[in-house]
Amino acid sequence: MAKTESDPGTAGADRELTMSRAMVDAIASEMHADEEVFYMGEDVQDYGGIFDSTQGLLEEFDRDRVMDVPISETAYVGAAVGAAQAGMRPIAEIMFTDFVGVCLDQVYNQMAKNTYMSGSAVNVPMVLTTAVGGTYNDAAQHSQTLYGLFAHLPGMKVVVPSTAYDAKGLMHAAVRDDDPVVYMFHKRLMGIGWMPAPEGPKTPVPEDDYTIPIGEADVKREGSDVTVVTLGLHVHRALEAADELSGDVDVEVVDLQSLVPMDTQTVVESVEKTGRLVVVDEDYQSYGVTGEVTARVAERTPDALEAVERVAVPDVPIPYSRPLENEVNPQVGDVVEAVESVT
Amino acid sequence: MTTAIDSAAVWPDDAEEVEEGVVSNWFVREGGHVEAGETVCEIQIEKVSVDVPAPESGTLVERTVGENEEFRRGDVLGRIETES
Repeated sequence: MAKTESDPGTAGADRELTMSRAMVDAIASEMHADEEVFYMGEDVQDYGGIFDSTQGLLEEFDRDRVMDVPISETAYVGAAVGAAQAGMRPIAEIMFTDFVGVCLDQVYNQMAKNTYMSGSAVNVPMVLTTAVGGTYNDAAQHSQTLYGLFAHLPGMKVVVPSTAYDAKGLMHAAVRDDDPVVYMFHKRLMGIGWMPAPEGPKTPVPEDDYTIPIGEADVKREGSDVTVVTLGLHVHRALEAADELSGDVDVEVVDLQSLVPMDTQTVVESVEKTGRLVVVDEDYQSYGVTGEVTARVAERTPDALEAVERVAVPDVPIPYSRPLENEVNPQVGDVVEAVESVT
Repeated sequence: MTTAIDSAAVWPDDAEEVEEGVVSNWFVREGGHVEAGETVCEIQIEKVSVDVPAPESGTLVERTVGENEEFRRGDVLGRIETES
């Protein structure tokens, strides 16, 4: 299978990819395999995506398969929904997840519901990609994750990779899925030159195609004392916290990977082992992921749950100021404190 | 024999007056095998990303400049031990 010119290849474990390159690797592979697959979004053509989500694709595919679109999310997300219903497999990108507000009807009333509204006369096999997260002082309208918003609205699957390996496997799974999948990639994990990623998201990535099943969590670190459930960037912050605590507290880190459907079983099994739960999320605390995970555990195994703590963004718009943003976005130290508070 | 990965070899034409850059990503571990022409690392010159190809096939024995470290034009980025 042909590779993008910029693709460094992945022969064996010697090679490691950034998350963005792993994502593009999967998209290119799916576009080669099926000519109904195409990508549309703002600045995805010559620019290669402002967070490198389509970097190198234009070297391999024509402009009608890597399409720049006018700044009307309503128009092009709507076009993607229509193309999907007509049998194509579009990938449409909302440049920042924060922009979903301007096209929410196309996302939650059309993309997510048309299979149901049509009595299954049509289905909507599209992927909606979008960049999420803060940590780089982009303020309240460009720093949100909105994990909870997308996961709350029924009719669409929602995945959030945290490593290059996961990014590739989840993208293959998302494109091949016959229903709409929202694929939320964290800017800080992409490995962009101007926004250095933490240690961890760059991993060995096999050259061959593989899928990671949507709806399965991944235990990124095994431990016996406390379960930390998290996703996206905060998988890496939780792993760093676990390293800091090792010797004193044995922390298990569960990466949700899929918000919809959520792998409740893996979370419950972990809490049945540890008895203590910390949920870490980069979204707002109220009515969100931390509450949902906690509720599922409390419903299914109340006797096992000895202590629980939530770490999330307090219910305020993300500040522009660096010290203030760092204050609201959960840091490694916040995870350490939360783990210590339940032990 | 050892071949140096020369940063000057990939310097963009429109960055003639720029003298320093930053290594943003390595894609091969030290001790890993590379094929000639494959991208071994990505450097940034004035915020422009440049993929650096391996000049020869062999083993990457040294990353002379680490990730997020600065270098001057002409500095050696890494060394490849070629199969004789």
